[in-house]
Amino acid sequence: MYDWDLDAVTDNWMVFVDGALVTIQLTLFSFAIAVVLGLLIALARLSPSRLIRMPATVYVEIFRSTPALVQLVWIYYALPIITGLRIDGFTAVGLGLGLHTAAYFGEIFRGGILSIDRGQIDAGKSVGMVYHQLMRQIILPQAVRRMIPPFMNETASLIKLTTLGSVLAVYELLHASNVLITSTYRPLEVYTAIAVVFGIMIYPLIYASRLLERYWGAGTQR
Amino acid sequence: MTMPDDAQSRPMFRIRNLHKSYGSLEVLKGVSLDVRPGEVMVIVGPSGSGKSTMLRCLNFLEEYEKGEVYFDGGLVGYVDGAGGRRVRDRERNIAEMRAHMGMVFQHFHLWPHKTVLQNVIEGLIVVKKTDRAVAMARGLEVLRLVGLEEKRDAYPNLLSGGQMQRAAIARALAMEPKAMLFDEPTSSLDPELVGEVLDVMRSLARNAESLSHGTTMVVVTHEMGFAREVADRVVMMDGGVIVEEGPPEQILRNPTHPRTRAFISKVLH
Repeated sequence: MYDWDLDAVTDNWMVFVDGALVTIQLTLFSFAIAVVLGLLIALARLSPSRLIRMPATVYVEIFRSTPALVQLVWIYYALPIITGLRIDGFTAVGLGLGLHTAAYFGEIFRGGILSIDRGQIDAGKSVGMVYHQLMRQIILPQAVRRMIPPFMNETASLIKLTTLGSVLAVYELLHASNVLITSTYRPLEVYTAIAVVFGIMIYPLIYASRLLERYWGAGTQR
Repeated sequence: MTMPDDAQSRPMFRIRNLHKSYGSLEVLKGVSLDVRPGEVMVIVGPSGSGKSTMLRCLNFLEEYEKGEVYFDGGLVGYVDGAGGRRVRDRERNIAEMRAHMGMVFQHFHLWPHKTVLQNVIEGLIVVKKTDRAVAMARGLEVLRLVGLEEKRDAYPNLLSGGQMQRAAIARALAMEPKAMLFDEPTSSLDPELVGEVLDVMRSLARNAESLSHGTTMVVVTHEMGFAREVADRVVMMDGGVIVEEGPPEQILRNPTHPRTRAFISKVLH
C-alpha cells in the first residue's frame, strides 16, 4: 500500500497558488486574442468577397491541422530567427495559444451565425434593417445561445493547453509542479494535487455552461 | 426620380419586363404589371410559377437581372452607374425603401428571442429611431387591430400558427408601410387557423384608411375565396409569365386562357 505524504503538497501550497495565477494570466491573455481574432475570422469567412474569405480560411486550416505544441515552439524558436524579435516564454505561449484558439473560436462563431434561419434575416431586412442592425438585433442574440456550449468547451480546452507552457519553462501549474517534485520526490501527491487544482478551475465553467443552456432552453426558444 | 409626378395616378409598383434566373433556370421570363395605390392585387398560379419570386423582387429580397421594378416612383435596388450600366444601390438606400413595404411570410419568421410586442416595435426603434414610448403605443395599437393585445408579452413559441401570423402582420403594419406584401400567408397554417388570418387581411383591405391611408396589398395565395371577395384584380402566373389578369369574377369564373381554366378548376375541385 502506497504511503501518501500530503505534507509535500500542504507545506508547499503557495507553489500551486503561484502556478495557478500564471495559468490564469496565460488563459486570459490567450482568450482575449482568441475572441477578438476569432470574431474577425468568422466575419471574414462569411464575407461575400473571395479575397477576404481566402486568407481567413487558410489561417483556420493551418492552425487546425498542426499540433498546438508545434505552433508554440515554432513561435518561440523560429519566429525570432525570422523577425529578429526576441520574445519570452510567457508571451510566446500566450500568443501561440491565442492564435491557435482563435481558429477554433472563429469556426464556432461562424457556425453559430450560419445556423440562423434565412427567414429570420429576410424578416429583419423587410422592416428595413441594414447589416449591422441584423447582426446585433437578430442574428447574434440567437447565434450566441447556440455558440455557448462549444465555446465553453473550447475555453476549457484552452485552460488545459496552457500546460504546454511547461515545455518553454513558463512557470504555470505543470512546470511549477515539476519543479516542486525535484525537491520533494513526491510525484504522485503533486500531480494529483494539480489535477485537483485544474478541476477546481475548469468545472465551474462547464457547470455555468449547463446552467446557461438550461436557462435559455426554457421559454424563449422555438 | 424628382419629377413632379402626380402621386394619385402614379402606380405604387410598376414592374417592367422583369427577369430572374437561378443559374440556368429562368424563373421569371419578363413580367410586366402595375399596382395602383390602395389596390388589392392577388397573384395565383401553380407552385413553381414564379409568383413568390416576383413578390420577393418587389422589396429586393431577390435581386433581378433584367427589367425594372419601380416602387412609388423609385427604381428598386439599382442606380445608374458609370457607362450607362446600372449598379446595385447602396445597402442603406435599399433598406430605406424596404422600410416602406411590409412583408408577411409563409413561415412567419417571428424573432424567437423577442416577445410579441418586441417583435412588433423592433423596426420602429432600430430602423425608424422612434421614441420607445411612442413605439410601444403604436405597437399596442396594431396588436389590437390583429386581436393580439393580450399576447403582447408572450414569446412566439407559445403562440398558435394563426396567432404567429397575425403578430407578423402587426410587425409589418407597425412601420406604417405604403404597401404590404403577403407571401402565401396561410399556406403553412392548420385549416382551422386560416380563417383568423384571412379575417385580419380582409379588414386591412376594407379599412385600409383607418390604418394608414390606402394600404396597397399584393397577395400571393391559394385562397380563391379570399381572392374573389377582396381582390380588386387577380393575376394568374404560370411558367414565369403572367397568363391572364383581370377582375376576380372574370379570372375565377370565366377564365379565357386554358391554363387559367385548368388551374382554377383544380383548386376549386
